[in-house]
Amino acid sequence: MSYVTIDQVTKGYNHQVVLENISLTLKKGEFATLLGQSGCGKSTLLRSIAGLEDVDKGSIFIDGKDITQLSPRNREVGMVFQSYALFPNMNVFENIAYGLKMKKAKNIKSRVTNMIELVDLIGKEQSYPHQLSGGQQQRVALARALVMEPKVLLLDEPLSALDAKIRKNLQKELKRIQKELDITTIFVTHDQEEAMTMSDRIFVMNKGKIVQSGSPTEIYTLPANTFVAKFIGNYNVLNMDVFRKLVQRTELDGNEVAIRPEVLQLVSAGEDHLDLQANWGIKGFIKDVSMTGNVLRYEVETEASAFIVDDLHHQGKMFEQGAQVHILVPKKECIILAN
Amino acid sequence: MKSSLVFHKVIVGLLVIYLLIPLVGTFLFSMAGKWDHTILPESYTLKWYIELFQDERFYLALQHTLFLIVVTVGLSVVIMLPTIFIITVYFGKWEKWLQAAAMLPYGIPPIVGAVGLIKVYSDGPIQIAGTPWILVGAYFITILPFMYQGIRNSLRTVNAVQLVDAAELLGATKFQAFRTVVFPNIISGILVSTLLSVALLFSEFAFANLLVGGRFETIQIYLADKLNSSGHLTSAIVITYYSIILLLTGTVLKLTFRKEKASVFSNKKRSLSFLKKSYRQKNTALEGENS
Repeated sequence: MSYVTIDQVTKGYNHQVVLENISLTLKKGEFATLLGQSGCGKSTLLRSIAGLEDVDKGSIFIDGKDITQLSPRNREVGMVFQSYALFPNMNVFENIAYGLKMKKAKNIKSRVTNMIELVDLIGKEQSYPHQLSGGQQQRVALARALVMEPKVLLLDEPLSALDAKIRKNLQKELKRIQKELDITTIFVTHDQEEAMTMSDRIFVMNKGKIVQSGSPTEIYTLPANTFVAKFIGNYNVLNMDVFRKLVQRTELDGNEVAIRPEVLQLVSAGEDHLDLQANWGIKGFIKDVSMTGNVLRYEVETEASAFIVDDLHHQGKMFEQGAQVHILVPKKECIILAN
Repeated sequence: MKSSLVFHKVIVGLLVIYLLIPLVGTFLFSMAGKWDHTILPESYTLKWYIELFQDERFYLALQHTLFLIVVTVGLSVVIMLPTIFIITVYFGKWEKWLQAAAMLPYGIPPIVGAVGLIKVYSDGPIQIAGTPWILVGAYFITILPFMYQGIRNSLRTVNAVQLVDAAELLGATKFQAFRTVVFPNIISGILVSTLLSVALLFSEFAFANLLVGGRFETIQIYLADKLNSSGHLTSAIVITYYSIILLLTGTVLKLTFRKEKASVFSNKKRSLSFLKKSYRQKNTALEGENS
């Protein structure tokens, strides 16, 4: 039984389609991510669910109720904005209590206090937003949304304004709170790594459409098309004609082939014992090496195309620029793309 | 380095002198008895002020001016605040039209405007030419650019659109959102626009003279009238109304400062925490390490 259903939602601005026939369903308690480049429509979709944007066609259901025409205040969804949107004239406690006051709820004090505890902001109740760090402000924004016990929590790139360390910390925190409250969450991000770590399910969006959906592993290991392959994991995407020429096989079908950089293996050109049963071997030389800490990234030039090869940074094992090498391409890791 | 600082100070000093001399001169002249061929007056007297404060016309003119200002500025806030808010938040694409309309008064000289207004309002359905109400209308237009810019900039600074979005998602109606999260954050911006408008209208002469003249004497018309009788007296008038503006502005600012004591206090804290930057950085690092 699906908890959130989006049924063929379409939206355009001045003759330009922003969302095209978007349909998706989520289970209760699921953590779903809308992933895509800026301008792909992911934020618009989120704002449509919140009721901050009207849709031209289609409907949105939450918990079996059609909310497409409801105003934001009646939708029972909570939202956290990228820029926090905290109320500058209220302190932390008042910010979190705001929604409860508007709803004239009971036990405001204890509910707010519990929430402050949950997001780890004890002692900051009387502080004003500008006295808090970015990470703390984001916690307030999260608490403010969660205290309303919304049916769905919407997160619009909530971590992208924070620096790397705090971001990693808040990712874990967010995931912990989400699990603890078992709240259905839709998260918007352009960062594929963030999407991978956080989500139960990822919806990759491009040009107003969902181009692939699945678990992080599925999305990463089995990209459905060139866009996903390139966007999600720095895949080497080769035209099939070029690939056929490189491996000297003519029987291969498909349009393009996608190969992850970390499944490729480099061996020096002098090495004799190549396992050519399970691998294709391609000759080339190292054009460039860059080091991103734990990973060595080689750019290997072959006669027809350049490859990116990632290798873990082992002590003492590193190919110099200009070295002649073989690239071993595991046959079963080659993903044939039809489109 | 030091000599250049001296140079800066001299420049600032000269500017201050340049700005103050007319005021000090006016003040001295309003107190002067005999002042012919000396640098400072030969004798001082309060007789011009006594004469002024015994003149009922002066009080009436002051009353008229204050009445016009309160009505106009009040009307402007009541009408323009919701208008600008609604346009900025809900009809973004119409904003350029409002902006163009708000800037129009700059393009029309008062003489042209006044003649046009008299023609339009002398007959027809609204015959208000010659009454103070036509002046209220004209003044409303005069202060439009200030009110518009001030309010719009405040709305942008606090990112009103997003605050309203957030408040609505938390269950507030549009009106509640405006009252509880937008208005308290733009009040200081509105205040600045209002004070600017008050100061501007206090010294407005062209419209007042052309549209109503002696039939509804404002302080500026009274001043112009007295200009022919005695320079000392006009100096006293100028000093008096400057003092009134100063008093008014001071009171309003003080009142709002008291109201916003909490936030002023936190402002102070903000600058303090800016000084303690290294401490904050340490804190941030700690927060990151908690993971």
